[in-house]
Amino acid sequence: MSMRTERVRVLVWQLAILVVLLGAWEWLTGIKTVSRTPGLYWVDPFFISRPSAIVQRFAYLMSDQVRLSLWEMALSTVQSTLWGFVVGVSTGFVAGLVLGRHDRLARIFQPYIVAFNSLPRIALVPLITMIFGFGLAAKVVLAWTIVFFIVFFNTFQGARSVDADLIHSARFLGASERQIMRTVVIPSTLAWTFASLTPSISFALIGVVVGEFLGGESGGGLGYLIIQSLGTLNAADMMVALLTLGVIGIVMAVGIRQVERRLLCWRPEYRGRA
Amino acid sequence: MAIVGPSGCGKSTILNMIGGLVTPTLGTVEVDGRPVDGVPRGVGYVFQKDTVFPWRTVRRNIALGLEYRGLPAAEQERRVAEAVRLAGLEGFEDAYPATLSGGMRQRVALMRTLVVEPEIVLMDEPFGALDTHTKLDLQAELLRLWDARRQTVVFITHDLSEAITLADRIIVMTRRPGRIKMIYDVKLPRPRDVIAVRETSEYLREFGEIWHVLGEEFRSKGASTAPGSNEDA
Repeated sequence: MSMRTERVRVLVWQLAILVVLLGAWEWLTGIKTVSRTPGLYWVDPFFISRPSAIVQRFAYLMSDQVRLSLWEMALSTVQSTLWGFVVGVSTGFVAGLVLGRHDRLARIFQPYIVAFNSLPRIALVPLITMIFGFGLAAKVVLAWTIVFFIVFFNTFQGARSVDADLIHSARFLGASERQIMRTVVIPSTLAWTFASLTPSISFALIGVVVGEFLGGESGGGLGYLIIQSLGTLNAADMMVALLTLGVIGIVMAVGIRQVERRLLCWRPEYRGRA
Repeated sequence: MAIVGPSGCGKSTILNMIGGLVTPTLGTVEVDGRPVDGVPRGVGYVFQKDTVFPWRTVRRNIALGLEYRGLPAAEQERRVAEAVRLAGLEGFEDAYPATLSGGMRQRVALMRTLVVEPEIVLMDEPFGALDTHTKLDLQAELLRLWDARRQTVVFITHDLSEAITLADRIIVMTRRPGRIKMIYDVKLPRPRDVIAVRETSEYLREFGEIWHVLGEEFRSKGASTAPGSNEDA
């Protein structure tokens, strides 16, 4: 059996499961219990809404009938996530590289890093909000506090495990310390750093949404839509926000995979798939 | 020059001291009359382990030393092309090491070292991890390359036939603690053919002589393989 027919077969199954799930959801939330109490359902759409209602709300939230459209909210969330991601990855990478190559610095900073990292980041939200207000900055900072550590720890490990013989060979070929950094340490560490990027973008998104929970309308974003829907007990709007977040998460993860494949094309596991 | 001796006798340590990777406990090592402190200039090193940079193509691996020296791009390109031709790696210039065989990778490592034209080349069992056929191939290659430039090569091996095939002089070491047991001058004429040379009576005679001396070391070894003898790694 060829790869192609196998792929088609898997896709057909995936679609079939989706159709069954959506169908069951729509159908089950439509059956009323045999009871005199009006509006009592076997599975109550009040809590989980229905696909048809979600589609309706989706169209409505996308339209210009609302003050803050779904588009604007999604854009705000994506923007904050990318900022948090970029800032977190770059600072985490530099810090990991520096501490990974300097044993004494690593020993000095170790307790601080461990202490800060064991702090649940959500507990920081009120403080961050107090300092940075309700806008973009607070969300970015929150995402940064999470992403930084993920990237830092990976890069740190990577920088420590650079093959000493590769460094020796570079030195015998006449490399200066700087050149060793550029041609040996950084390329070899990058593979480790990349492994942390996919979780990083997911966690950046988590940080941003949590920030938006508290951020109010000025912060905008899909987190705001979720909290607002909780206020109005509107499950359909919540589902719209969740599905949109899901799509955003997938698109960003796929984008990162692509960049990773391009940059790590020398690794056998990426061969011929780039 | 080749150094042979039992495992753990300190062959690699000698090489690492010449290369400035290890500081001797006592005394100093001099290269060209200058004491060694850090990696000396003009010394190349080929490791047994695969040290080709996996994230660089063959071409860019060979160019490394030239790049570090800041040679102009045209000059780099010319010398790399020459090295690629000498090593028979044409057609693989843009391949990543992961797609090459062990023999080809070691060829890249060899050319990468030779392309900067070091006066002294240190080789630590460079062909130790290769199969017999590839090994002979690379020995022939090394002889050919050496013949063109005649650098000083310090070659570590535990394979006596390899030592005789390649070297002018062989140092036989005792087992731990490693001392020099014998210095033997190989009188086989050059250029040598790695396969034909082994069938000559001169080769067999010299092999027999050194083998006898080396055999004493192996025989007296007994159960004395001390734990922690990691210098030979």
